[in-house]
Amino acid sequence: MITVQVEGLAKTFFDEARGAIHAVDGVSFECRAGAIFGLLGANGAGKTTTLRMLATILRPTAGRARVMGHDVVAEPEVVRRSLGFYSASTALYPRLTARETLEFFARVNRYPRERVGARVDELVERFGIDRFESVRVEKLSSGMKQKVSIARTVVHDPPVLVFDEPTVGLDVINALEMQEVIRALRAEGKTIIFSTHVMSEAEKLCDTIVIIHGGRLLASGSLEEHRRATGKHYLEDIFVQYVREGG
Amino acid sequence: MVDGGGGVLGTLYRYELRMLLRDTRTIAIAVVAPLLLFPVLILLAREAERRREAVIERATYRYALTGTEEDFAYYRVQEALAIEAFDPDTAARPPATFLHDRSPNPDSLVRAGAIQVVVEGLAADEYLRVRARELAERPGEDSAALAELAELPEVPVLRLHYRTDSDVSRAAFERLQERLEQVRRQQRDSVYRAYGLAIDLSELGGLEARNVATAERETGALLGVLLTPLLLFLMLSGGSIVAVDAISGEKERGTLETLLTTAARRSEIVAAKQLAVVTVGIVVTVVNLANLFVYIVLDLIELPQELAVSIGPLSLLVLLALYLPLTVLVSSGLLLISGWAKSYKEYQLYFLPLFAVVFLPSLAVLLPGMELSSAIALVPVAGVAVAVREVMLGEIDWPFLALAALSTGGAAWGAARLTERALSTERLISGTELDQADLAGGPALFPRRVLRWFGLLWVVLLVSSAWAGESLGLVHQVLFNVVGLFFGGSLLMVRAYRLEPRAAFALRPAPAAAWPAVLIGAPAALVTGVGLAEAFQRFVPVPEEVLRSFGQFLGAGELPLWQIVLILAVIPGIFEELAFRGVLMHGLAPRLRPVPLALAVGAIFGIFHVSLWRIVPTAYLGVVLAAVVLLTGSIYPAMLWHALNNLIAIVPVELGWVSEDYDLPMWSYPVASAGLALSFTLLWWTRRAAGKMQYVGTGPGGGRP
Repeated sequence: MITVQVEGLAKTFFDEARGAIHAVDGVSFECRAGAIFGLLGANGAGKTTTLRMLATILRPTAGRARVMGHDVVAEPEVVRRSLGFYSASTALYPRLTARETLEFFARVNRYPRERVGARVDELVERFGIDRFESVRVEKLSSGMKQKVSIARTVVHDPPVLVFDEPTVGLDVINALEMQEVIRALRAEGKTIIFSTHVMSEAEKLCDTIVIIHGGRLLASGSLEEHRRATGKHYLEDIFVQYVREGG
Repeated sequence: MVDGGGGVLGTLYRYELRMLLRDTRTIAIAVVAPLLLFPVLILLAREAERRREAVIERATYRYALTGTEEDFAYYRVQEALAIEAFDPDTAARPPATFLHDRSPNPDSLVRAGAIQVVVEGLAADEYLRVRARELAERPGEDSAALAELAELPEVPVLRLHYRTDSDVSRAAFERLQERLEQVRRQQRDSVYRAYGLAIDLSELGGLEARNVATAERETGALLGVLLTPLLLFLMLSGGSIVAVDAISGEKERGTLETLLTTAARRSEIVAAKQLAVVTVGIVVTVVNLANLFVYIVLDLIELPQELAVSIGPLSLLVLLALYLPLTVLVSSGLLLISGWAKSYKEYQLYFLPLFAVVFLPSLAVLLPGMELSSAIALVPVAGVAVAVREVMLGEIDWPFLALAALSTGGAAWGAARLTERALSTERLISGTELDQADLAGGPALFPRRVLRWFGLLWVVLLVSSAWAGESLGLVHQVLFNVVGLFFGGSLLMVRAYRLEPRAAFALRPAPAAAWPAVLIGAPAALVTGVGLAEAFQRFVPVPEEVLRSFGQFLGAGELPLWQIVLILAVIPGIFEELAFRGVLMHGLAPRLRPVPLALAVGAIFGIFHVSLWRIVPTAYLGVVLAAVVLLTGSIYPAMLWHALNNLIAIVPVELGWVSEDYDLPMWSYPVASAGLALSFTLLWWTRRAAGKMQYVGTGPGGGRP
């Protein structure tokens, strides 16, 4: 089932010093339920801007995007209800406890009030938050915060999950843990949109890898399809070839 | 995904407050510290004041005598000190002791603080020389002061030297000066008596003052003036505790992006934050008022002797209705700057200007003679402040109270909308929200900037009217406002945004049928406008003095008729049209459809006529003229219409054909309405004949016809 459709999506920023910057330039792709869709690109390639447009916090300059059939411009609230957004820049409220954080985000995402308690209990147990559920976020370690952040992202049980460079700044153990969580969510039938500039992560996790550079989509397909198309084995080499051809 | 759920607003609000209450440092600094510090500060200040007064009261002052007429000074001072020692007035305060200090250089001792006052006795010629020398050292005060000196009688003069920067020296001077004045009066009376003119003041007739204000009205007058500025001060400082954290704090922490990716609507987020700001603002206000009450009970703050508060339930409800929009305005304003600011630091930069913009208008209530039944009712905050004073005095003027509440409510609504838009702006996330027009500038940017320009022109108009106003005279005022400000400003806009002058001023040929339509329409619109203004005055009566001053203004003194026609009909007809139906309408056209465009242009034109009673008829004329330009596509018929309108309004009165207070017969209104309908039918026909909308650039969609 196709859950996310992006057609000719573009975003141009206007900067007084640099003029028009085409951060995203006519990107099109589709994502399916139960699959991990990877956006692979260097820093500044347009990955975050694309994902922010899907999350309705940036407005496309051109093109359209639909999440679960809802247009990101026309129905932003409905889109956000169907979406969980995780990134290194989405912080948590320091003065709430871990449990309060989950309750708060369940409620503001309009999760049925009578089921909030049970849902929070479930996530607290699943992510091992029970040891520190009553501790304020400001007192948690970065690993603990990561767990709360992931639980916050999925607390309203959205069908589409966006992970924007989720392993940036994490140590190896936490990064691997994050990858495990993403695989488990795929197994539950969620659509995962995952952006990274780490080739090994994309190789291991993604069912579909989209290579994005300079705001433009250069190639899309599974790892095997990319290998066949380029004749290269390693994703790093595949990426470099696409970028050279595309540039 | 699970649908449903509710109470998002309530959740956001509760958690906002919960997080604030856990911020112990903020609570301590913003709420607890003032509670503890204020009594200490007040006690210290009172103690310092008490000691200062005691020092001044009990002081033994030292003085010295000098000058060519030292003996004259000596005897006068002795007489003055005798009065000080034995005057019954000193029963209320202990008599001061003055000790004579003999010193060869007393002025240096005054400067050093060793003595408090020097009495210099000078012969008349010596005094003239000294003063002339002093005036020569200060060139600014020359001729008039010298002329005054020449007229002085040839008698000795006493000059008191003291220091204003020393409380004790100033007190000594004031006491001695008062007594020396008494000595002078006594001497004058003795001269009168010597000539047989002894008379007591009481023999000339009695004089007694009697205060007829009730204690309630006195209290109302006092509290009515203080209440709004005090509450605003507390609300702004209290609400700021939450507001700073509400958006700019969230931005700094990185939680704003998390919040904006949830299913909460922007309006819910803004409303919840606004409620939190209002709640904390009210709590801080109540806590501080309770604090104040405690100080009053403990006698730390003295209140007037006869304080009697009497506010009925109706007045209380009216006060609440007035303060509600004010509260929303304060919270919206605070949230708005929180939305604009990228960090706490930037918020603090914006806070002071916001404080000035919101707080200063409330001081309008302090202006002497300021009444609610004036244009002040239309000024947000100021209108409420004046309305509150009148309510506290028991005077309830419903139409103006409603206007005051509506003007502040309108500003609050606008600020709330702006705050909501601020939360939707990409600047919050991406750090920039410029677009093609911002970079390119020129005509593409003008539609977004036109209101700012006219806002600026309006402020200049207000300031210049308040400063120079009627002192300029009719001719100069019209030339400055209409030609200098409106037309000059329009030319600046055309130049700054590289507008094509023919399009910006709508300088296009008009269809032939437009001219008869103008000749029928102009008198008809004037009459219907008069009818509309009279209907408005039934709700808001025009005070006599306003009518009189406007009549005098239009009377234009002794100007010949041709000059009156030129100044009041031809010049406004040309230049106001170029500014309002030209540049303003050109700027607004890409963003508004024809009907809202005509209404907006008319409303802005009305507001530029400042006086509350002129806004309705001029706004009506503005709407009509905008419609004329829209239908003909040309500025010229509107120019003629405008000039004819003013001409018909002025000339019959100037020529004495009708009196200033002439009332139009009732039949004229339906006839004029029919004439106006006929005129617009003709104009509509020209539009239909052309087969398209005449005015190029109308309607949302970027200037397409």
